[in-house]
Amino acid sequence: MSKLIYLVPLFPLLGFLINGLGRKYLSKSLVSIIGSGTILASFIVSLMIFFEVKAPGFAPQVVTLFDFIDVAKLKISFAFQVDQLSALFLLIITGVGFLIHLYSSAYMHEETPPHFARYFAYLNLFVFSMLLLVLGANFVIMFMGWEGVGLCSYLLIGYWFKNDDYNKAAKKAFVMNRIGDLGFLLGIFWMISQFGSTDFSVVFAGADGTPVKILTGITLLLFVGAMGKSAQIPLYTWLPDAMAGPTPVSALIHAATMVTAGIYMIARSNIMYTLSPVTQAVVAITGLATALFAASIALKQNDIKKVLAYSTVSQLGYMFLGLGVGAYTGAVFHVMTHAFFKALLFLGAGSVIHAMHHEQDIRNMGGLKKHLPITHITFLLGCLAIAGIPPLSGFFSKDEILTAAFLKSPVFWVLGVLGALMTAFYMFRLYAMTFLGKFRGTHDQEHHLHESPAAMTIPLVVLALLSVFGGFIGVPEVLMKNGHQLENYLAPVFAQSTAKMHEEHHLSHVMEYMMMFGVAAIILVIIIIAWNKFSRYQKTTAEATGLGRVLENKWYVDEIYDTVISRPLLGFSSFLSKFDKIFIDGIVNGVGRLVQYSSRQLRWIQSGQVGSYILIMVTATILLFIIQFFWKS
Amino acid sequence: MNVIILSAILGVIMMYTGVMSKNKSTARYVATAGILALIGANWLEFAGVNFFNIDTRGMLEFTSFGLVFNLIILVCTLVYFLLSGKDLEEVGANAADYFALIFFILTGIAIVSAFKTMLMLFIGIEIISIPLYILAGSDKKNLRSNEAALKYFLMGSFSTGLMLMGIALLYGATGTFYTDGMYLGLGNITVMKMAGLVLLMISLGFKVSAVPFHFWTPDVYDGSPTVFTSFMATIVKAAFFIAFLLLFENAFGRMHSEWQFAMALITAATLIIGNITAVFQQSVKRMLAYSSIAQAGFMLLAIFALNNIGKQGLILYTAAYSLPTIGIFAVLMRMKDYTYEGFNGFAKHQPLLAALLAVFLFSLAGIPLTGGFFAKYYMLVAAMKNGAMFWLVIIGVCCAAISVYYYFRIIQAMYFREGADPGIQVSEGFKTVLVLTAVLVIILGVHPDWLLHLLDN
Amino acid sequence: MNITEILFWFLTALAILSALMVVFSRNPVHSVLWLILVFFAISGHYIMLNAQFLAIVNLIVYAGAIMVLFLFVIMLMNMNSDSEPQKNKWLKMAGTVAGGSLLLILVAALKNSEVQYQKVEGAQGTIGLIHNLGKTLFTDYVVPFEISSVLFLSAMVGAVVIGKKD
Repeated sequence: MSKLIYLVPLFPLLGFLINGLGRKYLSKSLVSIIGSGTILASFIVSLMIFFEVKAPGFAPQVVTLFDFIDVAKLKISFAFQVDQLSALFLLIITGVGFLIHLYSSAYMHEETPPHFARYFAYLNLFVFSMLLLVLGANFVIMFMGWEGVGLCSYLLIGYWFKNDDYNKAAKKAFVMNRIGDLGFLLGIFWMISQFGSTDFSVVFAGADGTPVKILTGITLLLFVGAMGKSAQIPLYTWLPDAMAGPTPVSALIHAATMVTAGIYMIARSNIMYTLSPVTQAVVAITGLATALFAASIALKQNDIKKVLAYSTVSQLGYMFLGLGVGAYTGAVFHVMTHAFFKALLFLGAGSVIHAMHHEQDIRNMGGLKKHLPITHITFLLGCLAIAGIPPLSGFFSKDEILTAAFLKSPVFWVLGVLGALMTAFYMFRLYAMTFLGKFRGTHDQEHHLHESPAAMTIPLVVLALLSVFGGFIGVPEVLMKNGHQLENYLAPVFAQSTAKMHEEHHLSHVMEYMMMFGVAAIILVIIIIAWNKFSRYQKTTAEATGLGRVLENKWYVDEIYDTVISRPLLGFSSFLSKFDKIFIDGIVNGVGRLVQYSSRQLRWIQSGQVGSYILIMVTATILLFIIQFFWKS
Repeated sequence: MNVIILSAILGVIMMYTGVMSKNKSTARYVATAGILALIGANWLEFAGVNFFNIDTRGMLEFTSFGLVFNLIILVCTLVYFLLSGKDLEEVGANAADYFALIFFILTGIAIVSAFKTMLMLFIGIEIISIPLYILAGSDKKNLRSNEAALKYFLMGSFSTGLMLMGIALLYGATGTFYTDGMYLGLGNITVMKMAGLVLLMISLGFKVSAVPFHFWTPDVYDGSPTVFTSFMATIVKAAFFIAFLLLFENAFGRMHSEWQFAMALITAATLIIGNITAVFQQSVKRMLAYSSIAQAGFMLLAIFALNNIGKQGLILYTAAYSLPTIGIFAVLMRMKDYTYEGFNGFAKHQPLLAALLAVFLFSLAGIPLTGGFFAKYYMLVAAMKNGAMFWLVIIGVCCAAISVYYYFRIIQAMYFREGADPGIQVSEGFKTVLVLTAVLVIILGVHPDWLLHLLDN
Repeated sequence: MNITEILFWFLTALAILSALMVVFSRNPVHSVLWLILVFFAISGHYIMLNAQFLAIVNLIVYAGAIMVLFLFVIMLMNMNSDSEPQKNKWLKMAGTVAGGSLLLILVAALKNSEVQYQKVEGAQGTIGLIHNLGKTLFTDYVVPFEISSVLFLSAMVGAVVIGKKD
């Protein structure tokens, strides 16, 4: 079966080609069938592969399709890695991806056929790139997918390219990603010079004997790449802006798949990170800072998608915290559960926006509970899951990360819990302002409120079920013997790191119970407060003051970047441009003119006279004789 | 051996075709079928099937390197026949004879890719050269064609004289014609040996139009009928290179350090002069003539470096340079106006052809994802591997950058200028072949290994 | 100095002088005649090397056939000293300098080297005799011999193509 692994990315590629090339000829229904069908096909193949991988006695395989680059000693083959980690990610990507495709077919129905097909073509290309990213058996193939998703996200964020702001957002996302990619690329180069290969097998096997300094350098560079793609401080500002894209895109790219690429990469190269404690600390602190920072911003946002965007950044921060403290399984677990509930929340938000005729400000919503029953229930479940209410999925994954953080340092834990509390608060603020209370929009909007079609609600229901029950594959040891099936499943991938990590000092059971349910209880209290406060929300014109205002303005980070980085850069660049025009252009044009001039001068030698040609040949012969007989010897 | 004998026979068959058939196109069909047969025969020899068992006394040796090279040459010739066969018929009344001459040239090419003695080298080179003089002058009513033929002949004879002199000196010094048997570099290097080497370097440098022995190239390429320029600038040029490389590897390989500096100078001069002079040309045909000199500079790097990567690179270069050039010439032949202005607005009127031309030009300029990139890359890597004279690599890179200028001028004219419809007519078959050629060029640029893996046999 | 050596030096001097005269003669017909003399001198060398066959062939082919052809062409084109185009004076000078330098370089190079004194066996070698030559040609060198037929065939085809009326 794993020999058929190439089918998984092949289907979306075909879908991309068909939809992309035939966008002027295909009808909308055909486009959506092709677009979704290819992902479904990939999902089925992934499922089969997953069961094969899950079976006991499975050894990781590398399926080489062809030799990609073969230069001197460097050999990079186009190979796919089939193991527990990639199989799991395949399932998440194709599974959630399929639901989102299905949802899109209804959500995007207003588009004209060619644009509709363009949308699905991009979406399929995105899934293809993402699959390439997780399937690659070396860092170069991974990087190809990495760049591919970057490109697709640019295309999809700027999907409505007639709006200038959206284009700017797309460019911002692309540039931020490129900054990160540069780090990743440098990391790969260093890796090649150190290990002479980018194959996972070679690099990871060689990591143990490598000096820690070098490993730290490589892993830090790789982490810069992850920062860009997974929107961590300081490269996170693109993600909230990326909400300019269609909502299903946000669900797919900016919640479930692309942004988790960085986590996947670090989880994949876990041994290198385990061996360099400095990087681990950097990863953990960056993750924690991002988690808190983004959560605080989310507290005061009024755009339904912006709240979710900052929440995503914050949750990604948790995942990095998990990676930083060595809880690789926990991080991957959280990727999975997050994919479920965040996709659910985004799609739910999409459903609301759809019903509200593209109104995104939650101050103008309220009381949607009775108009959108299915959306309401599923959204509520999503909120509960992300807040970490037992026994929903978010509880288990977040708990695992926090427990690991506690083992590393109680400070991590305290801050992590603080973030979790904020999460619960802003999520229920969002929920309450949207679904509870009285409707605050216009009459026209109220008149048109309606539940979304089945193609949109079915994915919501499926994702809601997954959000509720998805956590049971990772029940902590203390609650259930052998409950953590995911850990057992992923154990081979992280085996090397587990062996390297120091003896785990286990927490006492009492302590663990206390932490687990104590936190859950506080979260519950926070939820009730938020519920009460915002279900009675009234529109006010009063400006926020103090901290609230700072939060509303996202800590002024965009402004700070603008003054500290963009403005000086622009100034510098205008200086450079002048310098360039006068000096560099002078040189370049000078060289150009020199070439032209010498070209013209050389032409007269080409006189057309055989005699003079032979004369020059003889002269050259003399020179050659002189060189050979007198110069060299 | 299969190809040597069969293509000589095919040459004779072509002559008879000219006599027997009144229909002009018959010759083209027979020739195309003949090339296919040659490809088959070459492949069989590659697979170990020899039609002829001839004791050459070690004068010819058919290595996988030579056979793969022959394969590329034959495929290029096939593409050339398919794309330009029709234009070839229109040059004069003797289409069948031209085809015959081309088959004789192929015989020569097969010989120079397998020679082990100077004798065979000389015969092979002459079998290639003499038909070329005729082909250059085949447009008999055109004064420029006559001039080209005469010039080529005069200067070609001069270089042949030098080559004979060189061979004679080497024979005098070593007492043998066999390249392996000369044991040059083992004993002390006498003046006679060195003089022979220099003379051979000059005469072969002339054939591959290395600076400063290149002066015939622009005049001859420009004056000859375009359809034959296409053949001369690609397939034949590559053949001379293989002769050059094999000779210097087998006979002079052991005294590599003795002649390396001179070769580096020639290479550098070829790169610089070829590229710089190409910049100023106004006619695309003449630009391509200079571009062939510039590309020769890169191919010379293989001889300068004389290592395995260089040999692989030469194989790659042959394909990645010949195919695009044949394609560009095939389109150029159909244009009325050979200047850059003639291509103005080409993309609007012939979008497919313009796109294909762009691919070909990308390959010539060495843009990644086309075969030309890897070809240039291999050459530069070979030169770097060689260790000595790093400045040559820098010159190579700079010249590759310069070359972008004149190749992209065509693309600029095609896509960014307005112009009248050139009104060229191309058949569907022509387009198909051209598309396939472009695909081949791109495959070479994405995955060059499939070609190089053949060498491992 | 025995008679062989005298003959050798005489023929050498004759060959070089005649070759110079080929270049310097204003009248093309005279040039051709001088060239014939060069061939005779070379043939004389062949005979001294005991290669009578080569000597005869040289005379028949070069002095006989080719030179006659040259003469025909020259006479048909009605070339004489007046119709010779005037060459650029500078080019002439440059040519002289270049040629002279080449000579100097070669002399200088040869001066430094220890020329191996392998004396040519005048009138003793047997390789130039028609019997041995034929044997070698049809045993050791039969492949190049046969392949050179392709060369001549292509030259012939070329001649026909060029000469044929369209």
